Amino acid sequence: MRFTHWALGFCLVGVVLAAGPYSQAIPAFSRQYGTSCSTCHVDFPKLNDFGKAFKDAGFKFPKDDETFMKIPPVLLGAPAQKDIWPHSIWPGTLPGMPMIGLRFNTFFQVYGRNRNNFRPANSTDPTIPRTDFQPGLFSIFTAGNFGSGIAFWVDDDFSVGGANSNGGLGDGYLKFHNIGRLFKLPNDSLNLRIGQFEIDLPFSPARSWNLSGWDIYDEANFGALNGANPQNVNNSFAFSSPGQGVEISGGHMYKGYHYSLAVLNQNTSGTTAPGDNVSPTVGIFSDSNFKDLYGRFQYRFNLEKDAASRNEIQAAGPTGPRDHTYLQLGTFYFYGRSVQRTNGESGVLVAREPFYRTGGDFSFNYHNLNLFGLYMYGHDKNLLPNADGTGFVSGVPAHFNGGFLEADYLALPWLMAIMRYDRVQSTADFINGQSGNSTNFFSPAGSTRDRITPGVQFLIHANIKASFEYQIRPQQRVFDGDGNPASSPFRTNQGVAGLEWVY
Amino acid sequence: MNRSILSVLTAVMAIAVAAHAGSISGKVSGVAGESVVYVDTIAGKTFSAPAEHPVIDQRGLLFQPHITVVLRGTTVEFRNSDNVAHNVFWPSIQQGAKKLPGKNLGTWPQGEKRPFKFDQAGAAALLCNVHPEMAGYIVVSPTPYYVTTDNSGNYKIDGVPDGQYNVVAWHEGAKTQSKAVAVAGDGKADFTLTK
Repeated sequence: MRFTHWALGFCLVGVVLAAGPYSQAIPAFSRQYGTSCSTCHVDFPKLNDFGKAFKDAGFKFPKDDETFMKIPPVLLGAPAQKDIWPHSIWPGTLPGMPMIGLRFNTFFQVYGRNRNNFRPANSTDPTIPRTDFQPGLFSIFTAGNFGSGIAFWVDDDFSVGGANSNGGLGDGYLKFHNIGRLFKLPNDSLNLRIGQFEIDLPFSPARSWNLSGWDIYDEANFGALNGANPQNVNNSFAFSSPGQGVEISGGHMYKGYHYSLAVLNQNTSGTTAPGDNVSPTVGIFSDSNFKDLYGRFQYRFNLEKDAASRNEIQAAGPTGPRDHTYLQLGTFYFYGRSVQRTNGESGVLVAREPFYRTGGDFSFNYHNLNLFGLYMYGHDKNLLPNADGTGFVSGVPAHFNGGFLEADYLALPWLMAIMRYDRVQSTADFINGQSGNSTNFFSPAGSTRDRITPGVQFLIHANIKASFEYQIRPQQRVFDGDGNPASSPFRTNQGVAGLEWVY
Repeated sequence: MNRSILSVLTAVMAIAVAAHAGSISGKVSGVAGESVVYVDTIAGKTFSAPAEHPVIDQRGLLFQPHITVVLRGTTVEFRNSDNVAHNVFWPSIQQGAKKLPGKNLGTWPQGEKRPFKFDQAGAAALLCNVHPEMAGYIVVSPTPYYVTTDNSGNYKIDGVPDGQYNVVAWHEGAKTQSKAVAVAGDGKADFTLTK
């Protein structure tokens, strides 16, 4: 029976990996400006340097935005109304058209030949088929600018995997751009974002162009109270989860510095209080008083010799503008507290376990080749119930590390080749795998999961893409609680083909 | 006094020339919007290119004007009026059934112009490799007898000397067509273009 759970779990992970962090592009901007997706994207949704500047500016052309709009905005007040403020509402604008984009994707998956080797002999449980067609996401996204540098973004999945309305909100925020001008700070040095958003990661999993997400971003930290070094951690936080809160940021993504600092709801249990006795009762996202903190800093060195070209949004190439040759270096740090409540001898015991995630990243671009990677280290303080059940003692911290390295080569404007390596090492995974409570685990008996993923993507049109990837994993085997092999060796290699269109 | 005599002589010569020049008129149908009609190469005749340089502007993510017609040998200036990077290239010049090589002019900042002398007759699609939706057209006529039709396809080329010519009709979305036309005072040529 447990084998069945693993099989179903494996399928579910496959679906989530394949369908979860897929792409999001903004056809509404194409309509508004009368321009192609490729103005802002390299193999959508991967942004080129102009797309990064467009986003930095609050979903506007960085200079002379109004001269490019084919559909002018609707004035919500004459600009001269500013002169009589506060005796008038500060004038803003609405986009002259509903800024709505839709997307759909669908998949075909091929599983490794020995995909069912871990099933016990003579099992009548469902097997993993060799191939499978899967509907993906049907999503709506809307974004734009309300004037005065106030940008908005909302995206939501109507359906996931063909099911109705079980996708949910992705990002939904308002961003006040360049508010530093109110304090006479340098241009673009201070922005404020409020709402629900993916934290400012070096490479966005929510807007990844890969068919499967980067593994390290999905790494939570669930330990187990068993083995030689038991772990009382139950931290569901992963970098791919959206957060609710506020963020300040500044700088640019296409040159120089960029930073962000965010204060976010803390919810590491995955559950919340019902909120019946407080108003409003529309929902409570935090599971403790503490707010998590996240910070990021990056610096991008554009490497053109010519200073004018180096500082432009795009570099001047011999036959046309192109993305810069650049080296970008960054670092990030997340600090939170994982709260666990248990019944002790003298009442409820609350363990507030600090945790952090930190790491570094780089991205190097030379003409059509982009090489980038990220390393992350995760650390959870491990507070174990003491022997008499009256408090906690410090145990060996639960930690993990890993990251990814990826090379994207744009062979033609419509053809991108991808080679990727993902790796995750987790002590919590190791403990779970070696547990004495009869929980079987994929192994080899170690704490490392890694994979190599070559892929290729074709733009059929600027808004239609066909993608292929093959996930190559090392040989695995299931062991029982005593460390004896419980299955034949197998590989969970997987081929995925995806077709996506946005409109 | 001398100036008056010169003016009178000039007027008399102009009237004399006009008396021997006719026109070609007609309609281009089968397509929507503007077409270009021009007299093809006249054997044994060459024409001097004008000294002025027409400008094709990249403004608001558009080539402006959308269609430009010039005499062979004319230098055209390409200007970037946008505050974004642009590029100008044409994959080829279509000259009858032949495809002549194209050209990439590179990129230049806002407000600057880059000249190019069109020595080959034919039609070329002007593109920008940053903004693939942008397209303009240049038609290089081997003779100074050319015109852009109105939106209904009507045209009239004035000042065409009497003679036998090949007249070419071009439209951006259709196959180019040519017709032999005899001009003796006035000539007529209607075209029905197909895609």
